Amino acid sequence: MNYTPITSLAIFFGICILLFFVFRPKKGIYFFLKSMYHQKDKTIIEDILKYLYHNQTSNNSISTIDLTNTLNFPNTIIIESLKKMMDNELIILEHDSYKLTSNGNEYALQIIRAHRLWEKYLSEKTGFHKTEWHERAERKEHELSPTDINNLSSLLGNPKFDPHGDPIPTKKGKIVSKRGVHLSSVKENTVAKIIHIEDEPDIIYKQILAENIHLYSIVRVVENNSTRVVFHSEGEQFVLAPIVAGNITVSVLEKSDLEEDNIARLSSLKMGETAKIIGLSKESRGESRRRLLDLGFVRGATVGIDLLNPLGDPKAYLIKGTAIALRKDQAAKILINKISHGK
Amino acid sequence: MNTKNIDEIIALSEELRWEIGDDFHDNLAESIYADASKIVEDTVIKDNKKSNFRLDAKIDKIVTSRIWGFPIMLFILGAVLWLTIIGANYPSSMLATILLDNIHPFLKSTGTNLGFPWWLNGFLFDGVYLAVAWVIAVMLPPMAIFFPLFTLLEDFGYLPRVAFNMDNLFKKSGAHGKQALTMSMGFGCNAAGVVATRIIDSPRERLIAIITNNFSLCNGRWPTQILLATIFIGAVVPESYSSLASLLAVIGIAILGIAFMFFFSWALSKTVLKGEVSTFNLELPPYRPPVFWKTIYTSLIDRTMIVLWRAIVFAAPAGAVIWLISNITIGDLSLASWAINYLDGFGFLLGLNGVILLAYVVAIPANEIVIPTILMLTVMVTGIAGGVGNGVMFELDSVTATADILKAGGWTLLTAINVMLFSLLHNPCSTTIYTIYKETNSVKWTVVASILPVIAGFIVTFLVAQIWRIFI
Repeated sequence: MNYTPITSLAIFFGICILLFFVFRPKKGIYFFLKSMYHQKDKTIIEDILKYLYHNQTSNNSISTIDLTNTLNFPNTIIIESLKKMMDNELIILEHDSYKLTSNGNEYALQIIRAHRLWEKYLSEKTGFHKTEWHERAERKEHELSPTDINNLSSLLGNPKFDPHGDPIPTKKGKIVSKRGVHLSSVKENTVAKIIHIEDEPDIIYKQILAENIHLYSIVRVVENNSTRVVFHSEGEQFVLAPIVAGNITVSVLEKSDLEEDNIARLSSLKMGETAKIIGLSKESRGESRRRLLDLGFVRGATVGIDLLNPLGDPKAYLIKGTAIALRKDQAAKILINKISHGK
Repeated sequence: MNTKNIDEIIALSEELRWEIGDDFHDNLAESIYADASKIVEDTVIKDNKKSNFRLDAKIDKIVTSRIWGFPIMLFILGAVLWLTIIGANYPSSMLATILLDNIHPFLKSTGTNLGFPWWLNGFLFDGVYLAVAWVIAVMLPPMAIFFPLFTLLEDFGYLPRVAFNMDNLFKKSGAHGKQALTMSMGFGCNAAGVVATRIIDSPRERLIAIITNNFSLCNGRWPTQILLATIFIGAVVPESYSSLASLLAVIGIAILGIAFMFFFSWALSKTVLKGEVSTFNLELPPYRPPVFWKTIYTSLIDRTMIVLWRAIVFAAPAGAVIWLISNITIGDLSLASWAINYLDGFGFLLGLNGVILLAYVVAIPANEIVIPTILMLTVMVTGIAGGVGNGVMFELDSVTATADILKAGGWTLLTAINVMLFSLLHNPCSTTIYTIYKETNSVKWTVVASILPVIAGFIVTFLVAQIWRIFI
């Protein structure tokens, strides 16, 4: 074949398009084959167990049709797995709905333990973004052996809660029960603490993240009706649709439980103002958190703005006589109490 | 105590640890820090701290101001680069005269007098010695100027302010503001730039800075760019604008490198590096008068000499290889000629030629010897007059003579542009590759850092060549 620039360009773009279809994120042939390979019996059985466990705690009865509709596997394989699980006494069929046996319950708890521990690991020891934790843990939970899980747990200091505020079951299957109410059902003028942010479905979770709502922050609901939920937290105002607020769990606080009032985020500090640090938000995790503590951003320290940036971000804060530049998203995770101008 | 007891105690402690919950660790750490700061406040007496903060605050206000911040920065970087490139010319040509024009013939004649066979004489002095001498002559002066200047700025405390000003731009591509510094350091030498990434303490951002440092046009590549721009780009515009045009072309290439740096930083942070831990903090230390002589001394020893030493270690074998492939023949052609014939087809596809590709393969150890190797190979292949013999690298004092040789080798404007692009976008030199390995301690990242720019170079030169041939 003779060389012409046009044919060589055409071949080049042809190869590019081919590579694109093979490696396209999530939909590419490469990822399809990879997920085919991982789609083992174990994965399906464990996913069914998890699904049954979650529905059992909220008292829903689950039939075969529910399972085939929700789980993303071929129906024949699901039916086959259900048979296998009944043979192994993991589940039983009662009035057309599946129930976990005590063995099945224990197994399900271990999968949940693996999932939540892995999310905790991703949040503390890696740089993956919040939005990826759930999906990665969904895949990893099937790969960890019981020894892996225990090692992981002790590496992380046997944590009690995952980064979304969900309790992590112990080795023996013990689990903290969490009492709380959905933010959408809280009355106006109540003060509450966010104790859980649900990471499913993805669309709603991403909306919550985009609002920069922080776990374990104190909120004061100022408006709650069928169209919107408005609340104040850490000096900012948030407006959510009730369906989104329903995915946030809070525990209502009595007035006497309130330690600090008038909390704000360091990112809201203006030039010339000074403030006292109350502490770091729970959203500041892992290495970043330790670094901030090392630099002196601890409870009781006084902080002010030293320098503004020509491009707006980062700003330099004066803390303990040193100028430290922090980006806006970091400063948002440091909680302060502004000192009045009079001083 | 028997083991059963111990197990029970451990089980109990784990139980209690779990009961206490997650907050325990944080509260403990926080209260230790808080206590420590309280003790400091109570016991350490600070004397009047107002006075020593005044001058700093004033300088800071100017160098980070909206109006002056960026002009000051560009001016200083420009001045440092100008001083380096212009200032290095004189000592470079002096070293070249001594090492290449005087010592080299002397060594050769000594070899002949001592009765060395021609191949040993050629191998040692035309191959190994010449490559080493070349690297020293081209590399030493700019490094000896650039690094001390840079270290003085660092010592004074200005560089952290640059990182502070630039951070927002780098943040958009997932990188750290301090990468502005390691990038600038890369304009001097990529190996030194890679070492300088130690100032970035966040693992992900540091890897990004290491992998993309090669997109800074280093000292070894500036002369190539300037030479080619002068010969080919300067020739397309009217005589009176030619120096301006070639200057703009070189600056354009450097800016293109910065654009690639940002693009690849972004791409890396979004794909392969997204799982690495990322933190950000930047301390702005107070200004202080630089300790002049100490700074000069340490920058010469720590940066210049170490990098130079490594370059020499790598250049010597390269010189040997260049001499050997030009002098060992199989059939009736030398190894080099075989390789060139073999690479010509692929080279044409990229708008280059076999000579250029072979030169870039054998000159992996040092970018400085690319042009001398290209000249030597071109003369060898075309059989035109000029040059000093097979395997003996040379450079010509006159730009027109160089241009004649290149044009005889079939170079067009397209070839020159693509060589300039490929000089920007190809694998780092072996000194840098070795440094990357030492700094990351990972074969994987070393391979990524080495391969990524070559692939980018292939794609860019390929596209430029095809589009050029369609439209021009």
